[in-house]
Amino acid sequence: MKYMIMLYGSQQDYDMLSGKPSEQRPWTAEEQAAMNEFMMKWNQDLVDSGEFVDAQGLTAPAHARRIQLQNGVPVVTDGPYPETQEVLAGYNIVECASFDRATEIAARLVKTPHPADTELAREWFVDVRPVAESGADLDA
Amino acid sequence: MNDIEGLLRRLAPQVLGAIVRRYGHFDTAEDAVQEALLAAATQWPADGVPENPRGWLITVAGRRLTDLLRSEQARQRREDTVARWALTSPAPPAADTDDTLVLLFMCAHPALAPAAQIALTLRAVGGLSTAEIARAFLVPEPTMTRRISRAKQRIRSSGIPFGLPPPAERASRLASVLHVLYLIFNEGYASTSGPRLARTELSAEAIRLTRMVHRLLPADGEVAGLLALMLLTDARRPARVGPDGGLIPMAEQDRSRWDADRIAEGVALISGALPRGPAGPYQLQAAIAAVHDEAPTAEDTDWPQILALYELLLRISDNPVVALNHAVAVAMVHGPNAGLELLGQLESDDRIAADHRLHSVRAHLLEMSGNKSEARESYEMAAARTSSLPQQRYLHAKARGCQ
Repeated sequence: MKYMIMLYGSQQDYDMLSGKPSEQRPWTAEEQAAMNEFMMKWNQDLVDSGEFVDAQGLTAPAHARRIQLQNGVPVVTDGPYPETQEVLAGYNIVECASFDRATEIAARLVKTPHPADTELAREWFVDVRPVAESGADLDA
Repeated sequence: MNDIEGLLRRLAPQVLGAIVRRYGHFDTAEDAVQEALLAAATQWPADGVPENPRGWLITVAGRRLTDLLRSEQARQRREDTVARWALTSPAPPAADTDDTLVLLFMCAHPALAPAAQIALTLRAVGGLSTAEIARAFLVPEPTMTRRISRAKQRIRSSGIPFGLPPPAERASRLASVLHVLYLIFNEGYASTSGPRLARTELSAEAIRLTRMVHRLLPADGEVAGLLALMLLTDARRPARVGPDGGLIPMAEQDRSRWDADRIAEGVALISGALPRGPAGPYQLQAAIAAVHDEAPTAEDTDWPQILALYELLLRISDNPVVALNHAVAVAMVHGPNAGLELLGQLESDDRIAADHRLHSVRAHLLEMSGNKSEARESYEMAAARTSSLPQQRYLHAKARGCQ
């Protein structure tokens, strides 16, 4: 069974990681490296166990486009999110034995290292959702 | 041009192409790429060129684009008018074509005035800074800044998708691309005003960009023709200006100073292109330039061949300067009176009737026919109609010679 583990971030979180000056102090190179190493190991463990399917990270929310209908005409909006809005920042798809196993994998992320004196602008969370295997799953 | 500058100029359109293809926002992306180029120009000479210079520039330009977009979007949200654009038909797949070509088509878009097409092409494809372009065109930098930003706004508001024009439009759009390159070349070559160095750079830049288009579209005869025309014309540059800064007519130039390498390259290009199909105007002009360049002396010029080429050119182009040159060729083959007869028809053409070149040609033909007093009059009329001092000096000297 496949599960999608979704990670969120706002433009402000992107800034913190990219070292851009903001209200929070930017992460140092060492802090950055510690986090990268943790994420890579988390990923590599999934590859080693054969549970890894796919993982992608998304570019900053400023690059997003939204398509909406306006009076029946599709209209495109560039950069539709406010700076503080949480948006999907990346995902992992794992194929594993159960929802509980997928949850356990996602829960390892609570140990993601971050500097003691910095804080996210919101409560930290990740979401896990089962991927539909067939049309029938969607009716459930 | 040093190595780093040359490298940056070569990479500029590739980087801009990659950024616009990935993120859109041609206007903002162009600013971001300029800033990345600037950063490279200051950092690389000190820190060394990175292992993957193109990747470095794309990364830096991409980051800068994110910043620029965010401040733009924040401002727009404050003004409560979020940037929206209606969805147009999707851009055609650009497959394996170089993004440089897409950029050239965008910059030469018919919605833009020629001056804007030229400025945008030099900046977006040529990688020149606004200050450099302003200097080459002898306008104040703020004027050029406004011209470029208006052109970019125009492209944004017209919603031109990032892609090659549809096949039905491709030929006519390529013609505008070539016209822009031709204008850039002429700006550097034909003008007699301005700091010579900057102007010469414009011709060199036009040749560089046309070479690039030729590499991308090697089978296109007109692209090869334009490149050949530029090379064959530029080959005469060293012999073209006298010590007083005045132009020396081709017949009086020291041909040993012509650039033999450029001539050989131009002749090879046009010889390869002509047999491939119906010859367009650039190919015909290149062929004419080649006949001139291959004559060891002015007297050896194969005028019947040149006349035949001008006759082909006249059939496909309604240009009074072509008609004027045709009249010269007729005079060289059939005698000055035949040429003067054709000039009579041109006098009713408003586009050239007041031009000093018409009077100058008439003066030469009258002198050839032995009519000295009318020749002198025409030389003086021509001198009164040109604003170039060296040209005035040349024409007055000719007039004196007809006493």
